[in-house]
Amino acid sequence: MKSKNLVKFVSAAVGVVVAMFFLVLLVAEPDNDTVARSPLLGQPAPAISSRTIDGESFVLERRKGSWVVLNFFNSTCVPCINEHPLLVDFAEAESRKPDGAELYTIINDDSSESIRDFFARNGGDWSKVTDDNGAIAVAFGVARVPETWIIDPNGVVRLRITGELTEGLLGRQVEMLREDFTS
Amino acid sequence: MKTRRSIWLAMFLVAGVLLVFGANRGGGPKTQQERIDLLTSNLACPTCSGESVFESRAVAAEAIRSEVARQVAAGLRTDDEIMGYIEQRFGGQVLLVPRADGLDALVWALPVAVAVFSLFVLFSAFAKWRGNRPPSPSNDDELIVARALDERES
Repeated sequence: MKSKNLVKFVSAAVGVVVAMFFLVLLVAEPDNDTVARSPLLGQPAPAISSRTIDGESFVLERRKGSWVVLNFFNSTCVPCINEHPLLVDFAEAESRKPDGAELYTIINDDSSESIRDFFARNGGDWSKVTDDNGAIAVAFGVARVPETWIIDPNGVVRLRITGELTEGLLGRQVEMLREDFTS
Repeated sequence: MKTRRSIWLAMFLVAGVLLVFGANRGGGPKTQQERIDLLTSNLACPTCSGESVFESRAVAAEAIRSEVARQVAAGLRTDDEIMGYIEQRFGGQVLLVPRADGLDALVWALPVAVAVFSLFVLFSAFAKWRGNRPPSPSNDDELIVARALDERES
């Protein structure tokens, strides 16, 4: 009789665990948000330094005081190509603002020549930063491109957008963060 | 019965000593390349399935491998700190061997708990079966049977 009770108890426990797994699967929201999570959000941006394809020095820490947008890019990646016109629009709009954000392309596994060719054909006069051995990508935890990161004037990482940008998304997010920052 | 119990006890003792020895065994001095290989073998490639950073040729894996190599060469971080750096950037899913603290510890503790519980249930069941065996005949019983057989034969 005792062992029967034990069997019942174990069966009930296993049943409850399985039911809980199903409940979690039913309730959990799919992780398809464009605005992604990262342990770096709210943390000081990683200390990165490199050079642009024009040979100028780039030290992220020295950009403090400005909103900085980093766009991880490869000229052969289709979503990167698709979102490029949106980045051109964003850069133009921001250049007209007194506290406009600075946009930087972080080159991901691509040659400087390909990047020059791409920007000559498609526009975009912002700085393109080389990322030798992918050190900047690793520092931000970027595994796939495109990814776009927003860093506030205090040098704190505020937003990570994975995948292709949608119309107006970047401008809206920067504006919201700017309002939040000044209030 | 006593001998068998002693053998089991000795086996458990040896297993325990070997486990403790294995867990605390120092790796000895490692070369930088050995450290890099070991670290990258324990990191999952973030863009492939089922491949470690050590074996993958994906861009992200190569970038992580380079970063691990750079940090090992710099000599400023321990192996744990380098793993922590990569984990902080790419999330816990990048670790092929889960950490033994927090909620992750369940991965290690649950199988042990289940094994111990199963052993307990098994031993209880065996003990019960042994208790249910029919009692062996007493000397009087054997005498009665012998008498009955004699009577039948005579």
